[in-house]
Amino acid sequence: MFERFTKDARAVVEGAVTHSERVGARTVEEEHVLLALLDREGTRGSFALTSLGEAGFRESLERDLAEARRRGGLSRADADALSGLGIDLSEIVSRVEEAHGEGVLEPGGRGGDGRRGRRRPFGQEAKDVLVRALRVATTRRDRHIGDEHLLLAITLRGGVAAEALADHGVTYESVTRVLYGGTGVGAGGENGVAEAG
Amino acid sequence: MTEATDLAERAGDRDPRIGLRAVSALRRLLEQLEAVQVRSARNQGWSWQEIAAELGVSRQAVHKKYGRQ
Repeated sequence: MFERFTKDARAVVEGAVTHSERVGARTVEEEHVLLALLDREGTRGSFALTSLGEAGFRESLERDLAEARRRGGLSRADADALSGLGIDLSEIVSRVEEAHGEGVLEPGGRGGDGRRGRRRPFGQEAKDVLVRALRVATTRRDRHIGDEHLLLAITLRGGVAAEALADHGVTYESVTRVLYGGTGVGAGGENGVAEAG
Repeated sequence: MTEATDLAERAGDRDPRIGLRAVSALRRLLEQLEAVQVRSARNQGWSWQEIAAELGVSRQAVHKKYGRQ
């Protein structure tokens, strides 16, 4: 699969590994891919992000991601679905943190790094981003997978990263508009959303 | 408003998507809660056997999942 990745897309994948290492996570997660995308300059993906994001975009996005991590990596949509069952996620988080310390529900486990030097595995969600990027490129009949396809894949997943991006005006539709000038028709937006999560 | 708000408003409509999303969210939350509790028990000196008994799983299962951490 990686042979079709452009230099920029490969740089994002490598950057995601670096971000994962930096925070001492055991796996490479979707948010590490997003952070690596935000690091890039002069690429199609970064063009879309800088066109759509306002000043302070990155800091604000990182705050949103940190907040979601603290909720056990659950999105607001997850929290709302749980509240439909009568489960108050924020109450659970605050009680668990009270007993076990701030940030204990963060997924991916920090510290305890027996993996140093070994290849860091991609978590399920991050793998899904790569697979979807391939699918987005295929549907658009793009021969190569660039970092813009990784960005589009994240917006389609409907997870925490997509939610944080959407809060800053970065959605599948807006990225498609900026990059291709169209409305995103034909790229399977509907399908992607239905499959998301 | 936001997609999240829309979802919440439809929660009473027996929309399967909401129900399924809640199940998936619960599952992920459960994983984090389990990890927190297992870590806490280990820190307090519990054996894998004792932890496994409380969780209702085999000692091997719990050790395999958390033993390396």
